[in-house]
Amino acid sequence: MLTIYDLTKKYGTFTAVNHLSLHIPEGDLFGFVGPNGAGKTTTIRIVCGLLKASGGFVQIGNTNARMGSKEMKRQIGYVPDFFGVYDNLKVYEYMEFYGSMYGMWPRDIARLTDDLLALVNLSDKRDFYVDTLSRGMKQRLCVARALLHNPKLLILDEPSSGLDPRARVEMKELLKNLHSMGKTIVISSHILSELSEMCTSIGIMNRGQLIMAGRIEDIMQQVTGGRRLHIQAVSGMDTAVRLLMEQAGVVVESVRENEVIITNNSTDEQTSTLIGQLIQQGVVLTGFYREEGSLESLFMQLTGGGVQ
Amino acid sequence: MKIHWNPIVKKDLQVTVRSMRFSWSLFAYDAVLALAFLLVLSIIQGSSVGYYSNSNIYSYFIYLFPVLAIAQVFIVALIVPVITSSSISGEKERQTFDIMLTTCMSPFSIVLGKVISVVVRILFYVAAGMPVMALAFVVGGLAWSSLFYFVLTIILLSVFSASVGIFCSSFCRKSISAVVLSFVIYFVIYILSFVPLILHMLWTEGNNAGETMLLLLFNPGVFFEEFFMQVMTGASLFGTEGSTFSVDDVGFLTYHLSQGKAWMFLSAACILMLSFLFIIVAAWKVNPMNTTTIYTRGRKKKRK
Repeated sequence: MLTIYDLTKKYGTFTAVNHLSLHIPEGDLFGFVGPNGAGKTTTIRIVCGLLKASGGFVQIGNTNARMGSKEMKRQIGYVPDFFGVYDNLKVYEYMEFYGSMYGMWPRDIARLTDDLLALVNLSDKRDFYVDTLSRGMKQRLCVARALLHNPKLLILDEPSSGLDPRARVEMKELLKNLHSMGKTIVISSHILSELSEMCTSIGIMNRGQLIMAGRIEDIMQQVTGGRRLHIQAVSGMDTAVRLLMEQAGVVVESVRENEVIITNNSTDEQTSTLIGQLIQQGVVLTGFYREEGSLESLFMQLTGGGVQ
Repeated sequence: MKIHWNPIVKKDLQVTVRSMRFSWSLFAYDAVLALAFLLVLSIIQGSSVGYYSNSNIYSYFIYLFPVLAIAQVFIVALIVPVITSSSISGEKERQTFDIMLTTCMSPFSIVLGKVISVVVRILFYVAAGMPVMALAFVVGGLAWSSLFYFVLTIILLSVFSASVGIFCSSFCRKSISAVVLSFVIYFVIYILSFVPLILHMLWTEGNNAGETMLLLLFNPGVFFEEFFMQVMTGASLFGTEGSTFSVDDVGFLTYHLSQGKAWMFLSAACILMLSFLFIIVAAWKVNPMNTTTIYTRGRKKKRK
């Protein structure tokens, strides 16, 4: 759906985006992660046609539309991090205004406005002035506005910043809902737990470079070098360690008094066999569990603790 | 065939006319016009006791028209840059401009929409001032067509002032800087356009203006003076007694252009062209694909 090739943005000697290449498949919910100044917003602004790239190109779908052209803009719905409002404009007028800016006919705008307001749970606010809505409502309205022209790609830049917990949950549910409807979504956020819950894939940026991109599980696998298994026992630890070290593909990471941590790439069946062997060798196990890698730890590891 | 109207015009008008500030500004506009009307009326009435006889007092009411018209021209020339200067920079301050640029509307359509919405807003003021203006006509001496031509010239002035305002608004981040820049451009166009003429006159010891007067074709002030001269006396500003030019006084082009109504129409065309140029440059400036930000010696600069 979205292909970015060798994208570069330079401000004099400072390189904000450095030869970024990325492909986001159709129907993906992609999370852009990175510390402040990593180049996420710059990348998003270039894709949306709000900034001229110093090099590289962006392609949406199979079209060869020029960057910043009408054809490309028609395929993108953009939700900025800040919702600017007009005084004295009602919700349906706000939708009508942006619909007209996409060259839509009033009848189509009216029909879609009703559907989209229902989708973002704002049907009852149709005749309210936009500046009277809460921040969460405004942000959902902004999503509805971005969907009005039925874009192939929805891009959200920090949509949850400044929202209260309830509004964040509502926004997350809305995005999950849109994803289930088949929309391709790109979202940049600092709230990593939120991204890990809803994104199917992520891209981690730091200092203008894309360090890593792909499906969350694959990235975890790559970074941790396999899946960590904690094995706890009350006796027979020496036997357990010896046996584990003899196994092919198993790396013993640490040994404590009652626990040994190993990394292996084996399947659940192989792990089950391994546990069975330990029991047969007389190791008295009290428990074992897989360690689930968190996006936070992964992020800290890749960006050198650069969260701001 | 259905026509797509510029949505910015509709939105801007919706937002504007619903505000109390707009209603108060209309009231203030009418109040200023009414005060100007009463002032001129009292001057005419006071003068009629002495020099003017009661029999010809009505012939002096004709002067209500230029006074009220010039008052409107001044107000429009002053308020349009203030309104327009905030049109782009205001959208930037509200952070709504980025969303506009991500839509299918071209930067030119956005800028043009902003200019048209200001012109339509000015027409509201002109319409509100119509009853006061009409008083100058009911006493006779002026053709109703003059009122129509006056509205056309006000539209011309609005387009010109709005394009100056939008040009400044596209270059400045803050509305206040845009207003200041607008008045600087006003100063250049309205005042400094006389400088080449004055210098030439001084150089030739007051005998010859050459073709430097052609620069005044772009000066809306000279255009209005010519317009009122044509409406009031039917003569050209350049052909009035005592100031008639000969081909030797001015250049060949200036001499022929200052005959009849030629200057007025050509000046209107020149002002429209200048306005269009301002709009084109503004549209080019707001197009993100035309601007590159560079850093020089640690300071952020914008390069076109």
